[in-house]
Amino acid sequence: MLLITVLVLEISGLVILYSASAYNGRVRFSDAGYYLKKQLFAAVLGFVCMWLISRMDYHKMAQFAILAYILSMALSGAVLLVGDTYNGSRRWLSVGPLSFQPSEFAKPAVILFLSRIISRKEKMGNSIFSLIWCVCLVLPIVALVGTNNLSTAIIILGIAVILAFVSRPGYLQFIWIGLTGIGFIALFLSMEQYRLERLVIWKNPEAHEKGFQTIQGLYAIGSGGLFGTGFGKGIQKLGFVPEAQNDMIFSIICEENGLIGAILLLTLFLILLWRFMVIATHARDRLGAFLAAGIMAHIAIQVILNVAVVTNSIPNTGITLPFISYGGTSSLFLLAEMGVALAVSRWQNRQA
Amino acid sequence: MHTFHKRKIIVVFLGSILLLLALIGRLGWLMLGRSEYYGKKAQDLHERERSIKAERGEIWDRNGTVLAANRTVCTVSVIHSQITDPERVIRVLTEELDMEEEKVRARVEKRSSIERIRTNVPKETGDRIRQQELAGVKVDEDYRRYYPFGNLASTAIGFTGGDNQGIVGLEVQYDDVLQGTPGKILTMTDARGVELPDAGESRQEAEAGDTLQISLDVNIQTYATQAALQVMEKKQADGVSVLLMQPDNGEILAMVNVPEYDLNDPFTLETDTVQMSEQEIQDARNQMWRNDCINDTYEPGSTFKIITASAGLEEGVVSLQDKFFCPGYKIVDDRRIRCHKVSGHGSENFVQAAQNSCNPVFIEVGLRLGVERYYHYFQQFGLLEKTGIDLPGEAGTIMHHPENMGQVELATVAFGQSFQITPIQLAATVASLINGGKRITPHLGVSIWDAEGVLKEQLEYPEGEQILSEETSSTMRYVLEQVVDGGSGKNAYIEGYRIGGKTATSETLPRSANQYISSFIGFAPADDPQVLGLCVIHNPQGVYYGGTIAAPVIRDIFQNILPYLGIEKEEIRKKDGASIQ
Repeated sequence: MLLITVLVLEISGLVILYSASAYNGRVRFSDAGYYLKKQLFAAVLGFVCMWLISRMDYHKMAQFAILAYILSMALSGAVLLVGDTYNGSRRWLSVGPLSFQPSEFAKPAVILFLSRIISRKEKMGNSIFSLIWCVCLVLPIVALVGTNNLSTAIIILGIAVILAFVSRPGYLQFIWIGLTGIGFIALFLSMEQYRLERLVIWKNPEAHEKGFQTIQGLYAIGSGGLFGTGFGKGIQKLGFVPEAQNDMIFSIICEENGLIGAILLLTLFLILLWRFMVIATHARDRLGAFLAAGIMAHIAIQVILNVAVVTNSIPNTGITLPFISYGGTSSLFLLAEMGVALAVSRWQNRQA
Repeated sequence: MHTFHKRKIIVVFLGSILLLLALIGRLGWLMLGRSEYYGKKAQDLHERERSIKAERGEIWDRNGTVLAANRTVCTVSVIHSQITDPERVIRVLTEELDMEEEKVRARVEKRSSIERIRTNVPKETGDRIRQQELAGVKVDEDYRRYYPFGNLASTAIGFTGGDNQGIVGLEVQYDDVLQGTPGKILTMTDARGVELPDAGESRQEAEAGDTLQISLDVNIQTYATQAALQVMEKKQADGVSVLLMQPDNGEILAMVNVPEYDLNDPFTLETDTVQMSEQEIQDARNQMWRNDCINDTYEPGSTFKIITASAGLEEGVVSLQDKFFCPGYKIVDDRRIRCHKVSGHGSENFVQAAQNSCNPVFIEVGLRLGVERYYHYFQQFGLLEKTGIDLPGEAGTIMHHPENMGQVELATVAFGQSFQITPIQLAATVASLINGGKRITPHLGVSIWDAEGVLKEQLEYPEGEQILSEETSSTMRYVLEQVVDGGSGKNAYIEGYRIGGKTATSETLPRSANQYISSFIGFAPADDPQVLGLCVIHNPQGVYYGGTIAAPVIRDIFQNILPYLGIEKEEIRKKDGASIQ
């Protein structure tokens, strides 16, 4: 069930990506299939990874968790020094013709790392200190990634908080965490002028020059109506929505496939989350449960934040839509994560 | 595994579901509730309106001869992304358009959405290029204004700009009539403005403009232009204006301001422009485009004695038999105003004074009227207002305020000095004084026809007021005929025709420059005026008397156009009359 959902998502993702990116590919690289080809390569690689990982024993995999965590920190550190800059952000490491985004690797690494740490602490105290300790563990990577990729840092932090939440019995302290989090965000926003500016844009994007991307996304969504303009017939992707193949791809889906298409896609994600929940709750051990829960948290956070940004429900921040948005590294590691979830699922079936 | 882990996993899942459902709600609101708003905005963004030029209406003369028409020209452009065989495109365009290969190559190879290669390409060339069916080459048809007679009546007709809009003359005056309604093509474009080939376009056809028929007669205009050019050359004058109109209804038969300019090439100056600044070039062009008949005022001089005589006769302060004595000057207040004949005209009656164009006599008539009555007639004759001619930029009269008019000012006005009017004002006023006394509105526009050639509207002009009694009007015709028969206007006399008229020679300001304007206003037949002509010669060299140089111009023109207009010679008319009896 999970595999089928992932397959359907990935394939529809590739088709949507082609529709959304054909224009930009043609204009920039004289090749309508430019983005599709690169994405397809990553997807094939990802499926191989997924298959390999799904055959593995996740307990053995978890033994490398600390190593993976350290590696991801090293890579995130390296990208700050020798990374390539694209669209104004230094996020890529180049190895020959391939480029690699370490922040994407950081997410599965953190899931693996935290799951292992938490699952080993069988008698988790209910004190607030163990919780803080848990969050503190990921702070180094959050700080490293956050220097040039705030959105991914937020996702990592979110995964950590949810894993901590799952690992501990209480609720009240999480309400406190939530409130402090909001306080921190407010403080963080007010520190820099450009962050406050985002808030102003969010409230009224049409009155603001920099609200262009948001507005174009809203135009695309609004043009969709119930049934959309028809697949491939969207106009907003023709240079109106900047980088239509990236963060804003959901607006193109809305334009072309309408509310029906958008709901269908979100339903696919719902099924995916449901599957993760089932795997997590049926896992034979805490490690498996936390792994599946972490993956669920990852997908849920990214989908919710992405759709929220595209619909201008929250201020603009660059978060991709899993399986759909263009991005080779992201696609590769997402599929690898699916492999982990499949491995957990396979383990529980075998034991049963 | 603790059960609280499971419980909490389910809590996270349910929380996610809740948030996703909320987002779906938001999506529904955006895509259904706000769909119209955002959809409309997006459409505005995607749609490009390309307008289709409307064909401009033609201008016809009174006989239907085309004075202004349109020629189909083509604009050749290339769309870079659609070109498949650039070398062939470059070769064909270089050959057909007779351009340098590098120029064509640079434009063909330029990475732009659409690049214009050449405009104003003849239709035949455009058709030939189109027949080659070159991918990426666009041939758009367009209209270009064309004036078959070149510079004929240029200052009256005027010309248009690149956007089919009138710039000067009738073209701007009747822009609304001629322009038509442009159509439009709505197309969808991408963000760079490139049209989307498969998105349907909606078209709204252009509506051609209406045709304007004017009272001008190409033959009369041509002849008047030749006569004006002749005298301009002969007298080395700065310029010559000739106006011919029907005194009964104000229809203008000819309006000449030489030197005229080429309507098909209105921006090129005759003079060398190398040394000129941008501003100077523009000033020179504006000067070239000026219609001296209506845009400029001048001191009319002795032709204005017609107005003084009409007022005096109408008011009864003078009669034809009144005796006068001209000693060669007249003292007004402390001034001694000279007659043009220094030795004086001696004893003369009013008709003889008119024939002699005797200043002291007309000063006397003016003084007899007094400032108040003179000003009253000045106003009643319509001289304070514009004539209302259907051409842009008519200049107004420059006249003393009545409270500032003393005896000296009155005296000078009485023989046409110290104030200024336009030639069209003089012609319109004199026409009104001799046509039976009805004020006419001089005009060119007569009727409007639609593009299919169906009469749409007969243009109407205000019914003129009676500004002079018919009796005085008739007396004026007699007096002015005497001026031509045996007075200063005798050079306008044509054997067999009864012609009335008045000469004038005025010195321009500043007087020290010794520059003159010579003019003659005449009409025929004197007893039943059907055509009135005014000739104004600016700054002639040598002999500058209006009677000597301007009167022959009108005579020359009348001699030719009177038979053309079907006005027969007096003997023939008499004979015909006799045979009927």
